[in-house]
Amino acid sequence: MTEEISDPKILVNRREFINLTWLASLGFIFVDVGGVIYFFSMPRFKDGEFGGTFTVGKTSDLPSVGSAPTSYPKGKFWLANTDEGVKAIYKVCTHLGCLYNWSDQESKFICPCHGSQFQNDGSYIQGPAPRDLDSFIIQAVDPDSGEIIAESPATGAPLRLPEGQDVIIKVDTGTKITGNPHN
Amino acid sequence: MFKTLNFTDIRNKLKQAFDARVRIVTAGLSLQELRALLRGDPPTEKPNPRYKVHVTSFLFHIRPKFYKKASTLFTHTWRLGFFTVFFFALELITGLVLMIYYTPSPADAYNSILNLMSNVPFGKLLRDLHRLGAEGMVIFTVLHMLRTFLTGSYKKERSFTWLTGVVLLLVVLVLSFSGYLLTWDQLAYWAVTIGTSMAEAAPLFGNQVNLLLRGAPDIGAGGLLRFYLLHIVLLPLVAILMISIHYYKVAREHGISMPAKFDEEDLSVDVKKEANRRIDFLPDLLAHEMFLTSVGIFVLVVMTAFFYSAPLEHIANPQQTPLDTQAPWYFWWLQGMLKMGDKTLMGIILPTIIFGLLFAVPYIDRNPHRQAYKRPAAVAVGLLATFTIVVLSYMGLPQYGIETPAATRIIQDLAPEEGLGELRSIPFEELQPGIYQVNGDMPDELCPDLLWGCHTLEAVFAEFSERVHQAEQAGKLPDVEAVLVIEEWQADLMKVTPRIIWTDSQSGVRKTYEKHIFLHRDHNRSE
Repeated sequence: MTEEISDPKILVNRREFINLTWLASLGFIFVDVGGVIYFFSMPRFKDGEFGGTFTVGKTSDLPSVGSAPTSYPKGKFWLANTDEGVKAIYKVCTHLGCLYNWSDQESKFICPCHGSQFQNDGSYIQGPAPRDLDSFIIQAVDPDSGEIIAESPATGAPLRLPEGQDVIIKVDTGTKITGNPHN
Repeated sequence: MFKTLNFTDIRNKLKQAFDARVRIVTAGLSLQELRALLRGDPPTEKPNPRYKVHVTSFLFHIRPKFYKKASTLFTHTWRLGFFTVFFFALELITGLVLMIYYTPSPADAYNSILNLMSNVPFGKLLRDLHRLGAEGMVIFTVLHMLRTFLTGSYKKERSFTWLTGVVLLLVVLVLSFSGYLLTWDQLAYWAVTIGTSMAEAAPLFGNQVNLLLRGAPDIGAGGLLRFYLLHIVLLPLVAILMISIHYYKVAREHGISMPAKFDEEDLSVDVKKEANRRIDFLPDLLAHEMFLTSVGIFVLVVMTAFFYSAPLEHIANPQQTPLDTQAPWYFWWLQGMLKMGDKTLMGIILPTIIFGLLFAVPYIDRNPHRQAYKRPAAVAVGLLATFTIVVLSYMGLPQYGIETPAATRIIQDLAPEEGLGELRSIPFEELQPGIYQVNGDMPDELCPDLLWGCHTLEAVFAEFSERVHQAEQAGKLPDVEAVLVIEEWQADLMKVTPRIIWTDSQSGVRKTYEKHIFLHRDHNRSE
C-alpha cells in the first residue's frame, strides 16, 4: 500500500486492474467449484430404478390394442396400448397424489381418494383433478444397434410404434410429461 | 413540474443512498474506500475505516487488524498455522459434500464408497481430496507444533494458546482415526479394532470406554454409527471451538510472535522500526491469504489428479485379519510401542504421560529466552523427542518385530493380501505360460517369442529368485525349491502360482507354501 493517493485522473491504475482481474478469476473458480458440487450432488438413476429407464420388453410382448393396461409397480406407471399407440401413464393421480386403480368393469382409471376418473389413455373424464394424467417418455429402441428410433412427443400423445419392426420398448421415468389441463 | 426536477440533486441523493447501503453491508467501508483498497491507496477517511471493520463486523472480529512485519516473515512461521486451518476448512467442505452419498451401516458403507468412486461425477476427486486433506492436516498440525516449539512461541502469556494447540492435536488425531473406519474395508476395520482394544486396556474404566466407543463388545453397526457421529458432529464442534479460542488469542490478543531476535537482541532503531511496521489486514493480509488458499487448492488438485489415489482394500471381514495390518502412519509410533510390552503400560500410561508432558511444556520450561542458541536444553529435548518418535514409528512397521515365516514373507511381498503388489502389476501379455524355476537353468530372456520381451515378468522373477537365495543363505529355507507357474486358466484369465518348498529345520518335514493368483486381461493394474 502506498502512502500517496494515486492520480485521480487515471480511471483504472495498474494495481486496480490487476486486482480486478484476480478477483474475476477467483469468481470463475467459485463458479467452477459450484459446478463441481452441483454435478456431484445431482442424483443419477440406474436402469430399473425409479427415476431411471425401465425396459418393458419388445413390441411382440405388448398386450393387444384396447386391452387393460399393464401395471409396473417399481416404475410406478401403467403401460396402456391404445388405438393411437403406447403410453406410459404415471400412477400418481394429478389431484393430490394418491395412486389410482384400473377398473376392469368400467374400463377406466378411478382414484379411490376423491373419485377422479380417467380414460385408458389418461385423459380426464370427471372429478376434482385439474388435468389429464401425467405420462413418461417412451423410447422405441432398435434391438441390434441400440439407437432410439422413435420417442414419445412432448405433447403427451401416445407413441405410434414403427410397423413391422420388433423394437425394444423403454420407459424413461426421469422425464415426465405433464398432462393437459381440462377446461 | 419538470423545471423543478433537479437531476443533479437526484443523482447525488441516489449516490448517497447507494453508498449508505454499501456501508451497511461492508460494516463501514464506502464504495470509495473499496476502490482505494483495490488501487493501493491509503484510507479515504479518518478514523481509518479499515480498522473499524474489525470492531463492528462479526466476520472480521476474529481477524487481526494488522500483523507486525517481522512476524510475517515466511521463514519464521512457514505459514504452517494458516495451512492447518486451510486443511480443516477443506475437510469440512469436502466432508459435507461426501455425506450426500455415504451410508454409515456395515451393509452399505463399502458399497457407498464404491458408488462414489465409479458412479458419481467428481466422486473420486472429492474422496481423494478429503483423504489427502486429512493426511495434510495431521502433517501440518505436527509441523506447526514443532515450529512453535523451536521458536519458543509458547512462553509467558502464550502458554494457554499452546495448551489449546495440544488439545487440537489430539482432536485432529482422533478426527483422522474416526474417519479411517468409515470406509469399512479391511484396513479400517482392523486398525480401529486395535485402537479400541487399547482403550479397553485402560485401568478402572477401560471396559466402559470400549463399550461406549463400539456400542458392543466388538465393532459392528453400533461402532460404525458412533464413530461416524464422532467424526461429523462432536469432534468438528470441539475443533471449531478450540480453533476459535486458539486463533483469537493469536490474532487479536497477542499477535503472531516476533522472531526472537527482534524481541531479545539489541538492534538498531531503524531495524526495529521496520520490524514493527504494520501490515494491515485490509488489503494486504487478506490478499495474501487468498493467494495462499489458491496455491493450496491448486497443489492439492494437481496431486489428486496425477499422483494420489485414496486407497481402498477389500471389504471388512471380521473373521480374518490380513497379514501386515498397520495403523495409520501417525500411529506407527504407538504400534511400535505396543510391540514392546504390556498394552496398559505401552498403550495407555505412556501415551498419557507423553501428552501430559506436551501440555506441560510451557510450565516445565523455565528459561525466559526464546532464541534457539540461548535454550540449548529445550532444542535438544525437542530434537530428541522427534527422533524418538521417528524410531518408534519405524518399529511400528510390520517388517519389524513380527516373525513371519520366510516363505510367507517372500510371497506376501510379491503378491500382498491387500493392495496390488508387483506380481499383479505384470501386463497381461507378458504372462507367458510356463514353469519358471529358481535355481534352474533359466535363460535371461524368458519370452523370446514376444516382440518386446517380458521385462516386467523378468524383473519380478529376478526379485523372487533373489529373495529365495537370500533366505536360503540365511538358513531360513534349507533345501529350497522355488517355482513360478503360469497357466492359461480360461479365456483371458491366467493363473499364476508362486510356490516355495523347503525342509523344516526342526521336524525335517518337507513343507510347501504357495498362493493362487488369477489375473484377467481387463484387471485394473493401477492402485
